[in-house]
Amino acid sequence: MQGLGVKAARIAIVVALFAIWEILSRTGIVNPRLLPSASDTLSMLGDLLQRASVRKDLVVTATEVLTAFALAVPFGVLIGFLIAENRYFADVAKPLLFFAFSIPKSIFLPMFILVFGVGFAQKVGFGFFSTIFIVIMSTTTAVESVKVEHLTIARSYGATQMQTAFRVYLPSMLPVLLEALRISMIFNLTGVILAEMYASRDGIGHQIATWGENFQMKQLLAGVVMIAVIAITFNELVRWVETRCSHWRT
Amino acid sequence: MQPLANITPLKPAGAIEVRNVGQIFKTTSQDVVALQDVSLDVKPGRFVVLVGPSGCGKSTLLMMMAGLRQQTSGTITISGAPILEPDPNRVGVVFQEASLFPWLTAEENVEFPLALRRVSKDERRAKAQDALKLVGLEGFGKRHPHELSGGMKQRVSIARGLVQDPPVLLMDEPFAALDEQTRMTMGDELLRIWAATGKTVVFVTHSLTEAVYLADEVIVMSPRPGRIVDHLQVSLPRPRTYEMLSGDAFGRMRDRIWQHIRKSA
Repeated sequence: MQGLGVKAARIAIVVALFAIWEILSRTGIVNPRLLPSASDTLSMLGDLLQRASVRKDLVVTATEVLTAFALAVPFGVLIGFLIAENRYFADVAKPLLFFAFSIPKSIFLPMFILVFGVGFAQKVGFGFFSTIFIVIMSTTTAVESVKVEHLTIARSYGATQMQTAFRVYLPSMLPVLLEALRISMIFNLTGVILAEMYASRDGIGHQIATWGENFQMKQLLAGVVMIAVIAITFNELVRWVETRCSHWRT
Repeated sequence: MQPLANITPLKPAGAIEVRNVGQIFKTTSQDVVALQDVSLDVKPGRFVVLVGPSGCGKSTLLMMMAGLRQQTSGTITISGAPILEPDPNRVGVVFQEASLFPWLTAEENVEFPLALRRVSKDERRAKAQDALKLVGLEGFGKRHPHELSGGMKQRVSIARGLVQDPPVLLMDEPFAALDEQTRMTMGDELLRIWAATGKTVVFVTHSLTEAVYLADEVIVMSPRPGRIVDHLQVSLPRPRTYEMLSGDAFGRMRDRIWQHIRKSA
């Protein structure tokens, strides 16, 4: 679909960014203590990934992220579904959800620490809280994307409720739901890592914050690259599935 | 054409009886009488077209025949038994263009009614192939709806309506979204399929030309409260041809319907 030229240009930009980074640091235009070179950062990244403590932090963060995600998505989908299927409920709840969504979630972080203390529950709780609103709103959009004509067809051929759910609702909603999954993961990851950076004893976010405080720029930048790669990989995976069902998106 | 399914038909298969049917929509402010005292007999194998101004309740009547909506009063029987809920063994339905599932291929769309009844994969595939062949889409089974033209999509819809071999096919403005030429072609195609299968067809349309061109009988309905104001027997011979459109007989019948509709506009 896209020309090779577009892809080449994209790769060229990324390579150029790394090259500029490298040059700025190597030539001393930017103080290398403030900006270690790209090659040093990448070799540090390789180094960090060998360390047991970093691996442990990654596992901690991954567990928190996945737990928050596994709670927020089904719960949010359920609430979103109930709202979308009930006209009255939708009229009442929708503006309120928009209000809630517009508030920056980070201002609630101190409250989560007060309620849950510093630990697993605080991260998961805050990740859940950062994610749930976008899941609810996307689900209502997804339910609204189900066409009345399709439901009528299912009914006229005698579909049971279960058959309607799995053969009409689910595939109709899939493209919107996948997009929701992708975007909510961004919110979720942001929430958990923010919570780790703010107050934590472990987790990769905590590590990154510590490296920053200790002025360990090489480790800090390596951590940034690591998180970026993980986030982009997840995003692209879901996007790849998304494009496969984009043709029935309305 | 081989029969698509071996169902035991209730007698008389394909006959539709509408007796004193009324429909009242209750809204918070008032009750709207959509249909009033509609009675109608359709003999098996007839091609009947319902016309009337917007809001005359012709689609509502079709929905009730399909069991998708319950009338407030009166009875509707198909093949001798009342219609209380959708019954795909007795009735196939075809709607406007948007009713195919875009995530399924053409043949999976056609198989959909059979899949709901857990018919085996082989039998499903075989019946879908037969139905697609009947509507002239042999070899297009693996395509998705977005890879098909408007006319081809409606052929798939018709195949889906016929796949369980019901004696009655109900069609709600199936060609409304098509351009004029495709619409004419699809009209001829539908008549060919109808002749090959011997189904009872009830067809709702806004187009008077389409109505006279396709029908054995045209039922003209009045605006709300919907009532039958005329019942024409179309005397044109079959097969219908394009030349008939400019003939006197055709013009007279179309005018007669138009006079009814003009009065109510």
